[in-house]
Amino acid sequence: MTIAFARTLRRAALAAMVAGSALLTGCASFYVDTATREVPVAQFKKVANPKPVALSFEFQSRGAPNPRATEYLRAQVQEQVAGSGLFSAVGGGSDSARLNVELNNVPKDGDNAMGKGFVTGLTFGLAGNVVTDLYECKLTYLPPGQSTPLVATARHAIHTSLGATDGPANAVKSASMEEAIRTMTRQVVANALNELSQQAAFN
Amino acid sequence: MNRSVFRIAGLLMAAAVALQLTGCATPMGAPQASIDNTTRLRTAGIAPASLGSFTLAPGQSAGMDQGVSLRGSRVHSPYNDSFAQYLKETLRVELDAAGLLDPASPAVISGMLTESDADAAIGQGTARLAARFVVTRGQAVTYDRTLRADASWESSFVGAVAIPLAAGQYQGLYRKLAGQLFEDPEFRKALAKPGM
Repeated sequence: MTIAFARTLRRAALAAMVAGSALLTGCASFYVDTATREVPVAQFKKVANPKPVALSFEFQSRGAPNPRATEYLRAQVQEQVAGSGLFSAVGGGSDSARLNVELNNVPKDGDNAMGKGFVTGLTFGLAGNVVTDLYECKLTYLPPGQSTPLVATARHAIHTSLGATDGPANAVKSASMEEAIRTMTRQVVANALNELSQQAAFN
Repeated sequence: MNRSVFRIAGLLMAAAVALQLTGCATPMGAPQASIDNTTRLRTAGIAPASLGSFTLAPGQSAGMDQGVSLRGSRVHSPYNDSFAQYLKETLRVELDAAGLLDPASPAVISGMLTESDADAAIGQGTARLAARFVVTRGQAVTYDRTLRADASWESSFVGAVAIPLAAGQYQGLYRKLAGQLFEDPEFRKALAKPGM
């Protein structure tokens, strides 16, 4: 094997590693969009007579259940709902009110994360890119014994920069992907809970 | 020489992505009651029911009950490795959430898995699920119908993206099939409250 060939092979291997890792590891930086900001619990409309609620949470990818992400975030969402002051307890029986929290990850129109990561990887990070993931949070509340649910929604976004590029201006950089996901979840659920609390039929 | 280099690079790339993001066997998540189905059940005017046996339909291969293969990654049920049991659990949580599950009820819902498949093909993914549902009261069969649910979606060429999405789409069919059952007028009639 010639030295030139060895160098070429090493570069090819590096390119492959970068392409495979750019999306998820060191070459990627994560930014939480600032258009949706956290709503403090104190801002929620107070409920005169809070009731227990049976809670279910599901993280979805393009509308389909994502069990791993659901398990990852379930405790956080449960804690947030319990601490919202909108319910007396979380975990009622079948005769109690029900609250479904759905957090759906949808790609931004025209964004192809894997494709952009591939290009960034093959250029050793020089061709930087930013991809955006949108998150739609939908709360569906069914009062005890009733069959007409109340719905509250909120949207959020996480931007991921790949390679040599500046982060988006309308976003705050997170230390890690985990921090970005947890921050986004907390903020978008807070907004949806606030919207639910403001509905006259909820009180 | 360059062709070899790029072939090696391609293989390394595929391996890197595969190692980071895929696994050999993925259990489905536990079924959760949906508000849509709770609403369907609360407006159906039906009496509480119990659940009987849920099995693989006669003549079907055991493998159909045990898993679906998505580009070499196997998705399976967390309940005895059986999709028929997963279907039963789906109905259990939905009926329970609506206050319509009563193990002592003389009305018994049973099921047989007749179809189960998912394909995370590049371009378009597809999944289908079908089951024969039977409601009995004592010796009398008051409902016997096979229902089918399917889904199709845009499927990435990247397995790390396509496989979890296909698994989620397949899992979602159980809730969809349960919804079809709860909406079926004949099913509602079979479980109607006395006097309705």
